[in-house]
Amino acid sequence: MGRPNWAPDEIDIERPSVARMYDYYLGGSHNFAVDRAAAQAMVAAVPEAPLMAQANRAFLRRAVQFLVDAGVRQFLDIGSGIPTVGNVHEIAQRAAPDARVVYVDVDPVAVAHSREILAGNDGATIVQEDLRHPERIVDHPDVRRLIDFDRPVAVLIVAVLHFVPDDDRPAELLRTLRDALAPDSWLVLSQASADGRGDDERAEAEAVYRRTDNPLWIRSRSELTALFDGFELVEPGVVWVPQWRPESPESAEEAERSAFIGGVGRLGG
Amino acid sequence: MPGGPAGGGPAAWPATGAGAATSGAATFAGAWAKAVSGTSYLPMTQAQLEALLCRLAQDLAAALLAEPFDLRAGQRVGAELVAAHIASAEGLGRTVEVVQLRLVRDLGLVADDVEDRMARLLAAVATGYARALRDRTLDEQESIRRAAMTARAEAERALRASEARFRHQATHDPLTGLPNRALFTERLAAAVNTPGRAADRVGLCFLDLDRFKRINDSYGHQVGDALLTMVADRFRRALDGHLVARLGGDAFVVLIENTGGTRDVIAVAEAALAAVHEPALVAGHEVAVTASVGLVERQVAGTSPGELMRAADCTMHWAKSAGGDCWELYDAERHHRQLARQALSAAIPAALERGEFFLDYQPLASLRDGRLIGVEALVRWRHPQLGVLRPDSFIDLAEETGLIVPLGGWVLAEACRAAGTWSASGGAAPFVSVNLAVRQVHRPGLVQEVRTLLRHTGLPPERLQLEITESTMMSTAEEPVRALRVLADLGVRIAIDDFGTGYCNLAYLRDLPVTELKVAGEFVAGLRTPEARADERILASLVSLAHALDLTVTAEGVETAGQAERLRAIGCDAGQGWHFGRPEPADRILARLS
Repeated sequence: MGRPNWAPDEIDIERPSVARMYDYYLGGSHNFAVDRAAAQAMVAAVPEAPLMAQANRAFLRRAVQFLVDAGVRQFLDIGSGIPTVGNVHEIAQRAAPDARVVYVDVDPVAVAHSREILAGNDGATIVQEDLRHPERIVDHPDVRRLIDFDRPVAVLIVAVLHFVPDDDRPAELLRTLRDALAPDSWLVLSQASADGRGDDERAEAEAVYRRTDNPLWIRSRSELTALFDGFELVEPGVVWVPQWRPESPESAEEAERSAFIGGVGRLGG
Repeated sequence: MPGGPAGGGPAAWPATGAGAATSGAATFAGAWAKAVSGTSYLPMTQAQLEALLCRLAQDLAAALLAEPFDLRAGQRVGAELVAAHIASAEGLGRTVEVVQLRLVRDLGLVADDVEDRMARLLAAVATGYARALRDRTLDEQESIRRAAMTARAEAERALRASEARFRHQATHDPLTGLPNRALFTERLAAAVNTPGRAADRVGLCFLDLDRFKRINDSYGHQVGDALLTMVADRFRRALDGHLVARLGGDAFVVLIENTGGTRDVIAVAEAALAAVHEPALVAGHEVAVTASVGLVERQVAGTSPGELMRAADCTMHWAKSAGGDCWELYDAERHHRQLARQALSAAIPAALERGEFFLDYQPLASLRDGRLIGVEALVRWRHPQLGVLRPDSFIDLAEETGLIVPLGGWVLAEACRAAGTWSASGGAAPFVSVNLAVRQVHRPGLVQEVRTLLRHTGLPPERLQLEITESTMMSTAEEPVRALRVLADLGVRIAIDDFGTGYCNLAYLRDLPVTELKVAGEFVAGLRTPEARADERILASLVSLAHALDLTVTAEGVETAGQAERLRAIGCDAGQGWHFGRPEPADRILARLS
């Protein structure tokens, strides 16, 4: 309010950050008391919250492994958050050392942390930008330095879209990204869903996230499927994330408890 | 080395053999993996996890049976679990549980004191695990705090950068990139107000492009802007070392610090004028540019930024009045005179309202018989501080500011009012002659104004004479001529004042309804000396010209009886001047008349 409009945003670590809350769910300690308090409130409302985060993270791991196996060597991870255990570049570069990974996040602390983690890694970098400005992401010199948009790119927007309300026109944002991609590029999406859950639980979860800068925007499976417009979903389509190409039949049991839906799509030639 | 179990029973693999032990380890690892899955995120596949746990199970088995018993092996397993991200309170609890319940059984381990050893092994695992987890937690906390600090520092840097950018925008002119008025004011204030600089001298060079508006109007604003940018670049180059600012429009100012005298500011002015003079090709147009420069240079002590700016600005206007393309140096006396004149001019409206103006009258006498035929109304100002002022000290001001219209209107009305009251005893009452300024003549409504005055005062038209100057008729506008003709048709007398000294186009004598010429006093002055034959001839010619056109001639500035006699001999009709009477209140003149 008192801050002039030319001034950049302040760093407010008195406010819970969704990136650090997610780290807490995953068992990390890259978080502050305020983040833990919010995450604990979320766990009180939705006891499976840590499991959801883990299931989502496991989905990311399997999706990246799938893409590396499909020959993809360029990854653009938008909304990468705190670069905690099981990062895209760890998975991708272990399997393919020449893989290039650009992380994008709007949270300045997450960005600073990522920069520290990635120091010395020539094949990976972090860019501070908002998913709501896809054209800036695509035109960013650091993105352009590592990613050749004339060749296939995998765009990962994992556990992020539930922070993008319909008012921000997610379909248009994705279209802008899609238009920048070469044929045979990929899109990985996952987000929170309330399919099969009670209204109370949903309301409580939404109340927790209203304390952050990123309120929740729950979507149904059909809504998320629609966001793959222009991409051809690979099997099994948009499903509860534990059901997406599970490593063992048991790991897909009670998949709906993950509350996350996701899928992987391929851009036709 | 912690003490081994009492008795220290020998380690022994079960008789079933190594193959069975391996498959037992795999079974155990599967149970272990199931126990810890979900306690934290494990960045590996189920198979990778089971392979890891299988190896650790075998390490634990070996440690359980080792002789001597080595606690470090258990601690290593605890640390390895944490390193593999099986790193949570639940992960430890379930590990302790599954090892306690199943390790010995699944792997078929046999030892005398296996319960003792198991308790100590689990203690070692828990210790190693807790230690590693604590270290990891502290490391992660440190790294996220460092990231927060880095992000803050980054944000601060960005803030400072945008502050610097913002400050630059706030202190510079976006068109030319020169410092703007705000920055200039700041720097000038620093130059003048910084303590310890009182003995320094400082100078300002105020520059204004001449007729810039015309460039804008004829070539458009884009060309105007391009020209300003070019001039700004030239100033930057030519006046390097001095602060050059654009004040707005086509006005620039240069701050010259630590001057040694006026020659320093004059040098800057000449450099600036030369820079402006270079031929300018702007957007394909050859544009000739000149500037007017005002200079002020003085000691810092006793002056202020505002005073310096006003002085330089006012001096720049002197250069403008002098025709531009030159510099002028501030002159305090000239400035004070100007200020006094401005103050006087500003006081005119209130003076009119308060009735501070009054009229004196000067006789116009017939040269034939000395009879008073008319009087010229002359305005005076009884100024509360300055005393009675003659018209030469305020009429110019009133003409410059346009206040001549209300003032002249008041004079005309007052003269008509007064003259309307004069009654003649014996002969005809004198006419009153009133000076009309150019603006009054050119103003629509003059005819109506005079008509109304005559009606209200009862003054017969032939007793009103309007004096206009030749320059009044210089403009080719038809309206004033028509107005004067209407007035003349009413019977009002029209006189040309100061005839022969101004722009003398005889053609207007043909077109104008003039009744009289008033010949300027300077011709009459020449009559004082007997050898001034030229003046006398000019006068004689004027008189015969006037008479040929049926005009009467009044000579002004008649001071002696000799002059009056010569004028009478030439044939001049009337005279005005000290010889016939100085200006004085009407009642005194009228008293003499009766």
